[in-house]
Amino acid sequence: MGSLRQGTLTAVLRNVPILMFAGTFVVFGLLTPRFLEYQSLENIAKQASYIGIIAVGETVVLLTAGIDLSVGSNMYVSAVAAGLLMERFAISPLPALLVCLTVGLLFGLFNAFAVTRLHIIPFVVTLATQFAGRGLGWMLSKSRAVTFPQSVTGLGAAELLGIPAPVVIFAVVVLLAWVVLTRTTLGRQIYAVGHGLEAARKAGVDTRRVQATAYIICGVLASLGGFVSVAQLGNVNSGFGQMVEFQAIAAAVLGGASLFGGIGNVFPGTVLGALLIQMVWAGLVATRTDLYLQPLIAAAIIFLAVLLDSVRNTVLARLGRHNIRVEE
Amino acid sequence: MNMGKLLLIVALLGAFGVVVGGVSCSRRGSGEDQLTICFGFQDLETEFWVAGHKAITETLRAKGIRVLERNANQDANRQLEQIRDAIAQEVNGIIIIPQDGESAVTIVGEANRAGIPIAVFNRPPSDRSNPALVIVADNEKIADEAVAYMAKVAREKGKGRKWKPLIVVGDLGDRNAVARRKGFFNVMERNPDLFETPIEVPSKWDPATTLANLEAALQANPDVDFLFTSSDFLYPQIKAVLEPLGKWKKIDEPGHVILGGLDGDSTAYTLMKEGYVDATGVQDLFFEANTIMEALLTAIEVGQKTPENWMEDPGFALTQENMAERADEMWGYRVLHDE
Repeated sequence: MGSLRQGTLTAVLRNVPILMFAGTFVVFGLLTPRFLEYQSLENIAKQASYIGIIAVGETVVLLTAGIDLSVGSNMYVSAVAAGLLMERFAISPLPALLVCLTVGLLFGLFNAFAVTRLHIIPFVVTLATQFAGRGLGWMLSKSRAVTFPQSVTGLGAAELLGIPAPVVIFAVVVLLAWVVLTRTTLGRQIYAVGHGLEAARKAGVDTRRVQATAYIICGVLASLGGFVSVAQLGNVNSGFGQMVEFQAIAAAVLGGASLFGGIGNVFPGTVLGALLIQMVWAGLVATRTDLYLQPLIAAAIIFLAVLLDSVRNTVLARLGRHNIRVEE
Repeated sequence: MNMGKLLLIVALLGAFGVVVGGVSCSRRGSGEDQLTICFGFQDLETEFWVAGHKAITETLRAKGIRVLERNANQDANRQLEQIRDAIAQEVNGIIIIPQDGESAVTIVGEANRAGIPIAVFNRPPSDRSNPALVIVADNEKIADEAVAYMAKVAREKGKGRKWKPLIVVGDLGDRNAVARRKGFFNVMERNPDLFETPIEVPSKWDPATTLANLEAALQANPDVDFLFTSSDFLYPQIKAVLEPLGKWKKIDEPGHVILGGLDGDSTAYTLMKEGYVDATGVQDLFFEANTIMEALLTAIEVGQKTPENWMEDPGFALTQENMAERADEMWGYRVLHDE
């Protein structure tokens, strides 16, 4: 009986993020029945897609016990570069996307170089690239909005088998990241580095290469997220991507990723985190919550989710501990 | 310390040296008898700010005045530092577009202490504790006029039925946004028989937030048929949400959402001309720019160090009714025709 209760408790605790997500959805749905419709979920997934893509990259970095604060600036400067080339040279969307991804790759390479070769702590490196990237974007755009043509915004509105293109791209990114993290040597090494850098190094893992790969993945995904966002918005203004790093980190942490590395997953973890954040904001608007109260309620829900996750981890650790009794 | 780290530090110091050198050169290059005015702005994100920036800088330069442009890129602290730097360079006057009312008070205080006349363009300080020249549009009145016209159209079309209104609200830290929201609600309160409880959609002046929140609001309330945006620059996102729902219709088409906004940019003008938008509140940008520049130059000329004058741009509502006569008063129309 006791083991059954413990088993149920363990199962509930293991699925806290899913339960939290479902609970939030139902509560908003009870307050506004239309919130429960498929279209509502589709809208939430579509709006969460670009943050989700960036959060996947951020999760990979967090798993190595690193952090990337430059993702917002990265998405801004890579989108500006692509947009300006489209404006001035009328290049088509595919080369523009490649330019965008290349800029993201360069960001990732620089962060990786500074972290793994110069041994500067990731917080400081990526804070510096955050400022540098924003400044570079402002310099390129002269702080003006860069407008994208219909060929790009058409991608944002396009559908594949009835599913919005941004959601499809998000799903593909999640699938690839999930495969890499759970089915490949690199994935296991990423977790190993996050659990303990020195231990991983002693076990023969090329920790520099693993860390560098994480920052490069994060850089490329940040620029891809930026392009997906631009495809929906149609233009990039000087505030584009600001505070996105915190949303991406929040999504990863809400999904169970640890800021100390080694713990977390992109599916369902980060996906649920990104969707939950978007759902909270959409729910507050749909339920017509007072505008001045919205940030407070959103913060409270996110805080509660993280608190529950923290309690869950503590209890799960306790439940999983093997008791050694001293015979009297 | 390894070689890579050393090289990076040397490169950073070099870059710092270049920047400092550049700043010093610009100071040394200023003439003794030439007036220097620092123009500090936040960004050139919207057409309104681009046109305002152009009007101010070109007019001042045409008068032979040296303009120190300082872009704070939406960072109030950075703007404060930029203005302190300008004060250290002993500029003759300062014009700012502040990030918010609170930071404006602080920046004006800095200029007051230095005895340099300062003018605030379009975004007023949150209080009058520090004297300044201020020009600001009467946002509440302009919004009220535009929404009142939209209400008139609704009453004529509705034949007794109630409308479901929605307002896209700006950043609640911006007094202009708060005033526009108040103007909208004034009309709602005057017409309780015409409108259901309005739906408020926060935009934070951010297109991505607007898109996400507006989509959520229309999913929950698909029968919205009256929409006011606190700024014209959000029309692309409004169109992106309304169009897939079959609600992006011209005025004479069935299912048209009565649509209005505020600013008076070229997009609003084009959409009014095409027949999608019913009314837009217009800030008289050129009047505001000219008035504030003249006031500041006069203060410098007569030696006033802390001049104080709050001036108001009454603005007006451009509607489908008065468009033929008043379109050329709209700054967006002039920007479009200049291009």
